[in-house]
Amino acid sequence: MAEVDVDGTEVTVSEHEPSTTTSEKPAPAADVEVRIAAAPAHLSVVRAVAADLAMRADFTLDAISDLKMAVDEACSELISRAVADADLVCRFTVEDEQIHFSAEAPTGSAVPPSRESFGWRVLTALTDAVSTWVVPGGDGSQVLRFDLVKKRADVVGL
Amino acid sequence: MTQSSERATNDYEHLDPLLAELAELPADDPRRTELRDRLVTEFLPVAQHIARRFGQRGEPHDDLVQVATVGLISAIDRFDPTRGSDFLSFAVPTIMGEVRRHFRDTSWSVRVPRRLKELHLAITSATNELSQHLGRAPTPSELAKHLGISKDEVYEGLEASNAYRSSSLDELLVGTDKSVSLGDALGDEDPELMSVENREALQPLLQQLPERERTIILLRFFGNLTQTQIADRIGISQMHVSRLLARTLVELRKGLLSE
Repeated sequence: MAEVDVDGTEVTVSEHEPSTTTSEKPAPAADVEVRIAAAPAHLSVVRAVAADLAMRADFTLDAISDLKMAVDEACSELISRAVADADLVCRFTVEDEQIHFSAEAPTGSAVPPSRESFGWRVLTALTDAVSTWVVPGGDGSQVLRFDLVKKRADVVGL
Repeated sequence: MTQSSERATNDYEHLDPLLAELAELPADDPRRTELRDRLVTEFLPVAQHIARRFGQRGEPHDDLVQVATVGLISAIDRFDPTRGSDFLSFAVPTIMGEVRRHFRDTSWSVRVPRRLKELHLAITSATNELSQHLGRAPTPSELAKHLGISKDEVYEGLEASNAYRSSSLDELLVGTDKSVSLGDALGDEDPELMSVENREALQPLLQQLPERERTIILLRFFGNLTQTQIADRIGISQMHVSRLLARTLVELRKGLLSE
């Protein structure tokens, strides 16, 4: 289910993985993968990696800051929904005009975060595309995943 | 560069009776507000003068004037004419203390080499300049070209800004009198913003935010302005907007989770 936000952001929210890939297949190769214990104390590591990658990819300062905050928001959501002692896995892929970020953590709930929440509003405002869904993990467990894309520069001056 | 104290005293002598009157009025007297407003307005040049003396140190001038004005207001509130000293000899140290505290609180929280501080300042002012010119925030390579330095140096300077802290300035302004409200510096708000805000469950949390933080949140997330556009509108730097946004989001998240 895809829709277009007021500001033209393509927003996708689904309770199922949008692509045909299943969680059995390996995720597409990422440039950088960061694995942290799902605890707020380690958020700064992911934020710093996001900011450094965007800076070196020559994003505008606004886009760098937006990506940093979006990553923070997505990871905070994952951490708050993660089961005890879980790991949070973050992958960054730097492409020509954008950075693709995905993160996942095992969760106890099959319901993805609400589209009505303020957190979702923040994510859609900060990114160019965002989606979140729950996939079945091994042993009947569930994995919550966030995917987001941030472009190099904001389109300004409509 | 300093005015002689005699001259400064004479300039404001006519306000002495008002100061005495204010000090005598009971706290709940309705005339207090009017009198206080008048005194703040009349003494404003003193605060502006002190703010100018602290200029050229990398803090935006408007921020300094605001901090100095906060100092002036607290001096007016605390001044006791029965103690025999004149107002200015009490107010000037009070205002300077407030500005110094601003510098102490907003300066580097981690020891950063002088070269990096200067680099950070250069990047901040280049960012402002280029944003005006480009109509959007610059990229690191545009900053490097503008400043005639390498991209690696720009990276270093941007990373150094992580050690710069400016939160206390905002704490100082929380709960202060309406007369220094940052809202005065803002342009018109889209009335739609308020209706969006009303629809959201987080309205009570937004209401608790200081006016500037609330405005920044609304403009960024409900008005879809970029940080650079917000910085321009409010009159602070893009980096400052970035810091305020990041910090306010953390606050809101905490509030939403605790509900």
